[in-house]
Amino acid sequence: MVITQRTTRRIRILVALVIGLVMSAPLLYMLAGSLMSNSQLSIQPPQVIPNSLHFGNYPAAFSGLTQVIQVRSFVNSVIFTVGAVGLQWVLCITGGFVIAKMRFRSRGLITALFAISLFIPLLTTLIPTFVVTYKLGIINTYPGLILPIAAQTGFGSLLFRQYIKELPQELFDAARMDGANWWLMLRRLVIPLARPATAAYLAISVLTAWNMYLWPLVAAEGSGLQVLTQTLATVGSTAQGEVTPQNVIFASVVIVTLPMILVFLAVQPAFIRGLAGSGVE
Amino acid sequence: MSVTQLSDPLIANLGTPTPITRPRKKHRDGRWAAVMIFPNLAMFTVFIIVPVLGGLYLSFTTWDITNGFPKWVGLQNYRQMFHDPLVWQACETTLKFIAFGMVPTVILSLWLAMLINFKFRGISVVRSLYLIPAAMSFAASAVVWRYIFLDGPGYGVLDYVISRFGVTPPDWLASTTWALPALDIIAIWLSLPIATILYLAALQRIPDSVIEASKLDGAGPLRRIRYIVWPGVRYMTPLVAIVALLSFTNGSFDLVNILTKGDPINSTQTLIYYIYFESFAFGAWGYAAALSILQVIMIAGILVVLRLVSSLVNRW
Repeated sequence: MVITQRTTRRIRILVALVIGLVMSAPLLYMLAGSLMSNSQLSIQPPQVIPNSLHFGNYPAAFSGLTQVIQVRSFVNSVIFTVGAVGLQWVLCITGGFVIAKMRFRSRGLITALFAISLFIPLLTTLIPTFVVTYKLGIINTYPGLILPIAAQTGFGSLLFRQYIKELPQELFDAARMDGANWWLMLRRLVIPLARPATAAYLAISVLTAWNMYLWPLVAAEGSGLQVLTQTLATVGSTAQGEVTPQNVIFASVVIVTLPMILVFLAVQPAFIRGLAGSGVE
Repeated sequence: MSVTQLSDPLIANLGTPTPITRPRKKHRDGRWAAVMIFPNLAMFTVFIIVPVLGGLYLSFTTWDITNGFPKWVGLQNYRQMFHDPLVWQACETTLKFIAFGMVPTVILSLWLAMLINFKFRGISVVRSLYLIPAAMSFAASAVVWRYIFLDGPGYGVLDYVISRFGVTPPDWLASTTWALPALDIIAIWLSLPIATILYLAALQRIPDSVIEASKLDGAGPLRRIRYIVWPGVRYMTPLVAIVALLSFTNGSFDLVNILTKGDPINSTQTLIYYIYFESFAFGAWGYAAALSILQVIMIAGILVVLRLVSSLVNRW
């Protein structure tokens, strides 16, 4: 009995490991390919373990004839992600606090609007959102790239509302009796106490912004504003892909994805809490 | 003694004359609330509410965006839509893409979550193998999968593996039958991690003791899934489905635009890709706005169906 239990346990671990390797196989293949020579990548049957490690593929992705990634796109991706998420965080934690703790008419209406907006992804309002941004004269500028994304405050506001609502009311009553106004409460109470919610929010939003493709594609056609997903899309579509060596392309994908994998591994618990928390309501 | 009593909020509240402060407090909240939520609501209004209402208006007009103002044409765009065979094909393609993607995602993610819902040394590493693809963009995975799907006599890894089993691999992205399923495979692969995380969170709330007790009672794995696991996680299923729906909706543009451009012979032309084409390539902004309304209706329709399905499943 004990032995069979231990054996089934071992089998379970083995199955979990094997399926896990299958699930991450495309990533591992990309990583392996980014270190291979281009001749090894084109051998039949396909190789999965590099004969020798060609780290030179990584600098090659940044320069010379094989250049895939412009440093400018990297900087643009950082500006876009930090700008959109940073601004959105300020809007969301403030908005979430207001609808969680303050009493005023139309609170229910605003909360409902945020909730409805979750089901209207930017993709469905792409045309009119572009028209508005275009008419504001900010297409092909950083504000045009950042503001419409920062304005998607529905998810974040509801996430912070949920968390702040559950903070003990006594804290706020006590602060008020000490003469603190709402602004002070936001800075001294809400922002420090809602740190776990902020972590969950940042984990999800940073990934979303860094990986966003459609909006940058239409709002930043000018090459000076291109972000990394646009760079990858260019090598992903056949024409360019035939010219650049495959190993350098793989290295480029690793370079673009690695920051997010590191972010993800660092914040995985927060990420899981944030996602799971949104389902518990 | 009096100090401790006063700091107790219950008693402290008893000491304040409630009838007088209440209305004043309400007033004060309102003013502060308005000031503090203003930036959020202003942005929300300009970039979400105005586009939603403006999009509805645009759908009754014809406009090339650059010149003058939208011209009112009533229902013309909608009439044109009904007679446009490409629209029906795009709707069908989109629905297929979403349905063939969502159903496997929900089922597989529950299975994966059950696989990694137990404890041993190194489980966090194994879990990371399952969850890391969540960090990848559609664009990045499109690049990698393009090489995995590569056609020709055993060129891509996938074709090589399939032919080892003695099966002739399909042409994937170049085939009218297999291009859409190929895009679905990529989108499923990208959607699984988040769906798995959600189910895993639900599974971890089922106490070990319940499962142990069922084992002692001699319940087999199937009965355990049916009577303990499923009732424990089914509340999460609507959220998994909605998150998957939004992910496949986004994928229906990103993957199509990068990998197939709607080809071969329009077989992967999704509604959003058609909208993108009509507006940014052809300058038919009014028509594209009408098609966007169709896209919203489609998502709303899927949500209604999900709601019906989940109410049926919940009774089960």
